[in-house]
Amino acid sequence: MLNKIIVAVQKSDFDLNSELETLKLKTEKAGAVVIFVGKVRDLDDDNLRYLEIESFEDLAKSQINEICDAAANKWDLEFILVKHRFGRLKINDNIVLVITSSKHRKNAYEASEFIMEYLKSNVPFWKKEVADKTQKWVENS
Amino acid sequence: MGKVKLKYFSRIRETIGKTSELVEIKSTNIQDLIEELQAKGEQYSVLKGRDFAVYSAVDQNIVTDVKTSIEGATEIAFFPPMTGG
Repeated sequence: MLNKIIVAVQKSDFDLNSELETLKLKTEKAGAVVIFVGKVRDLDDDNLRYLEIESFEDLAKSQINEICDAAANKWDLEFILVKHRFGRLKINDNIVLVITSSKHRKNAYEASEFIMEYLKSNVPFWKKEVADKTQKWVENS
Repeated sequence: MGKVKLKYFSRIRETIGKTSELVEIKSTNIQDLIEELQAKGEQYSVLKGRDFAVYSAVDQNIVTDVKTSIEGATEIAFFPPMTGG
């Protein structure tokens, strides 16, 4: 069982460089690191003022931990980190960070996609887009 | 049954008008609880899931079957489809 799993549900931003440095200290046998960042985007037909992300924090954290365990069982990984933010975010603010690391790239790529797909619809976060003309809860796409 | 903490999120929180409440309930499963709550006020009819799917979590375990027992539960949460990532 992989014991290098870091999960956080937080209001604050994350720092890519420091996360990468932390990872390097713990993964000397890994040659691949896949980093996925989800960020706030503007709307096509309106001007986004902000994105409000609501979370059921404790349950979100346990759901993310569960998927990280599942990924660690499915692929040979050296490290997984998932940090998901909540609160009021502006255009281009970071929302989610998924880092997967493995000896070779294939496992890290596949695990990253697997984790993100799960995050989209199985972890209790809800996004509300507040724009100039409208405000609406985001539906799954 | 006894007292249980109910939590509401997102669109459900907005419709019901509160984030949580401690209530005395008689129901022993989710379906009956929704009926019981609806009898208290029309705003709870959102829990029936006519406009969008409604999920629940019993003591922080997500359940999909409305017949799931809630006996002995201390916290029940209701929320719409999740949109993380």
